Amino acid sequence: MMESNADVIAQDFVENVTEALQQGQSIDPFMRVTGANDDQADLLAIIQALSETMRPIEPSADYAARLKRHLQIGDGGFFVRLRRMYARLRRMPARLHIAAILAVFAGFSLLLSRRLFGAASTSISTSAPAPRDIAEETVATAL
Amino acid sequence: MPKLFARGKNYTSLPDKELVALAASDKEAFGELYERYLTKIYSYVYYRTGNTQDAEDLTARVFQRAFSHIGSYIDKGAPFQAWLYRIAHNLLANWHRDQGKRKIIALEDYTAQALPSDAPDHVTEEQDERNQLMHAVRRLPEDRQQLLLLKFIEQLSNAEIGEIMGKTEGAVKSLYHRTLLALRADLQNQVHASAARRLSGQAAERL
Repeated sequence: MMESNADVIAQDFVENVTEALQQGQSIDPFMRVTGANDDQADLLAIIQALSETMRPIEPSADYAARLKRHLQIGDGGFFVRLRRMYARLRRMPARLHIAAILAVFAGFSLLLSRRLFGAASTSISTSAPAPRDIAEETVATAL
Repeated sequence: MPKLFARGKNYTSLPDKELVALAASDKEAFGELYERYLTKIYSYVYYRTGNTQDAEDLTARVFQRAFSHIGSYIDKGAPFQAWLYRIAHNLLANWHRDQGKRKIIALEDYTAQALPSDAPDHVTEEQDERNQLMHAVRRLPEDRQQLLLLKFIEQLSNAEIGEIMGKTEGAVKSLYHRTLLALRADLQNQVHASAARRLSGQAAERL
């Protein structure tokens, strides 16, 4: 698609304004030029607002140091997996969190009850004496 | 033991190309690349996700992936950062796909500086305008958002942006102009919509 001459001029204008702002130069000369042109004045205001709003964000020093340490000592994989797992868990719906907590609680309860009551029932079955008639019968068969 | 001998080297003066060549066998060289690009990649990811937790998670994955593939990196003439941004872009695309539509990004976080409750009115107004602008940016198609981030946050030239986005310098220039026009149209619609809402609210109060 061919661009018109007006398009090319407009593109150059926004490029020059953006460059001037990024280099910390004054945009007054552009303001004077755009005095009679509402379209260019609007675009200039948007570029200025974008330039003031979209600024680099620094990660926390602690995070930066931690990630570098993990990358350099070679266990970045574990670190990344751990963070990913935590981020995924955090994003899960609340009902899944509750279900997971209940499942863990039920599992522990089951293990605990088996350990307590299972051990008790085993000890009862091994220590209980055999009924007398069965014991006598076994002895007679053996003889 | 290359790492032991590498400790005394001064990497800060080396260009990216040499660091990349060294980084396959020398973690200190990769560390220097990490220092150079951490804030850029983090900012890029932060503006695309809108929260610190996901930005930290994805940034870690970008560098982890770069670290594990640096040995197979082939220099085709494009700058190293273009490779890093492409990794970030791919991970972000997956992240957005996984998030689907249920993720609501806290757009107010974009402008970051929380205002005190006793902030003057004109400061609050400015903050509102910035939030509106960022809302409008978020409504743009993905490639246009990427272009604005690379231009304003990373302050890259059109040629560098073109290498990352797989476009010519001229195409980037044209897309940038069209993006600004789209933003202007969106903001004007928002102003009209909010004026209409205000008027209908006043009419309802009178009734």
